Amino acid sequence: MGKRLVIIGGGAGGPSTAAEAKRRDPSLDVTILEKGPYVSYAT
Amino acid sequence: MPYYIGDVIASEKKLIARTPEAFEKSGIRVRLNTEAEEVDENKGEVRLRTGERIPYDILVFATGASVTMPPVPGLDLPGVHVLKTLPDALSIKEAIGSGKVKKAAVIGAGFIAMEMAEAFRTAGVEASLIQRAKLPVRRWDPDYATLVKEELVKHGVHCHPETSPKAVEKGVSSPLRVVTDRGEIDTDLLLVATGVRPETRLAETIGLAVGETRALRVNFSQETSREGVYAVGDCAEVFHRVSQSWTSLPLGDIANKQGRVAGSNIGGTPLLFPGVVGAQSFKVFDLQVAATGLDEGEAKQSGFTPVVEKVTGTPTARSMSRGERIHLKLIADRSTGRFLGAQAVGSRGTVSRINFLSAALWSGLKIDEIAYMDLAYSPPFGGAWDPVHIACHALMRQF
Repeated sequence: MGKRLVIIGGGAGGPSTAAEAKRRDPSLDVTILEKGPYVSYAT
Repeated sequence: MPYYIGDVIASEKKLIARTPEAFEKSGIRVRLNTEAEEVDENKGEVRLRTGERIPYDILVFATGASVTMPPVPGLDLPGVHVLKTLPDALSIKEAIGSGKVKKAAVIGAGFIAMEMAEAFRTAGVEASLIQRAKLPVRRWDPDYATLVKEELVKHGVHCHPETSPKAVEKGVSSPLRVVTDRGEIDTDLLLVATGVRPETRLAETIGLAVGETRALRVNFSQETSREGVYAVGDCAEVFHRVSQSWTSLPLGDIANKQGRVAGSNIGGTPLLFPGVVGAQSFKVFDLQVAATGLDEGEAKQSGFTPVVEKVTGTPTARSMSRGERIHLKLIADRSTGRFLGAQAVGSRGTVSRINFLSAALWSGLKIDEIAYMDLAYSPPFGGAWDPVHIACHALMRQF
């Protein structure tokens, strides 16, 4: 595995960051930490 | 979410862009109900509430914004809601679905309050708006905010302007009673929608810089004041292309774009976020409300000398209009002729005008360049001279 990317927050910006980083560098080890029960939703 | 609560969007599943399972499939680990409590920069670890430690090489703050609560006692009573997260929306929808909510009240008068007033009415619930100011939606000038208020009243929303809530208590005839300086308002459900602030508490514990807006300072790569630590979305500042200053604009579309830029940089492909022009819209009943760029006050603060022109046009060729109107206000700089901002309220076609005006702002066009701009003309969609052209020509006569 490559570098470990940790994202705090899973609303809109966090998931968008995760998806693009992984697309650009598939070796990244990506984790999204979300305090609530849902990620990636429209408000 | 207001459209989900108002039953315009049938299922909460439609609000979810990508499920945790879909993320896992593309190799992204999603940990739900997981709260980061501390960041240990020396060790490169995020400590969770449970005590577990998650090691990182690159860290991103996407902590969003938190609802600001007015200093009113009783906001912890059952039946008092906020609307920030999907669980908030589910709980409001459940309350309405129970059939026990006949009356709802909203404290606040921003665009969420407007959308929710409509959602309550659509769901067959009485709606009251309680606000301290005289008029709703302070981004829009009083003449346009008045049109918004008239639309609320026309659809049966009870407006309580210049009213300060003092306390929320258990009611007698209804579950809740809002005590204000202008009497009492009984309600079954109360929504607090007075605004949000950037959620930066965790980021500040490691000393990341915040700007005047109280959001995290970032550069055009979305990197914070600390190398290798990024911030995106409502918790981060954003560059305003017209005022040429860093601002805070908590809107989901901006968060998505900033996230993609941060992700690209993290993934090794350098990319700069180009900023925003402050385009925004909302709908309230039959009215479209939109704005872009600066208003007169902001234009002055940014060192411009604003000139303003206001026109009322039609969304179609005049011969085809069914009494619909588009009210449009353009602001330009007197010394350079540069277009600085617009506000609009009206029927269908209103938001599309603000959208192309946003493209004009983005490109830094002058009023005389927009005055002859080629638009997709046909009678069902506008006149040979669009309200935007007409406003530009009137503005040019002021120079």
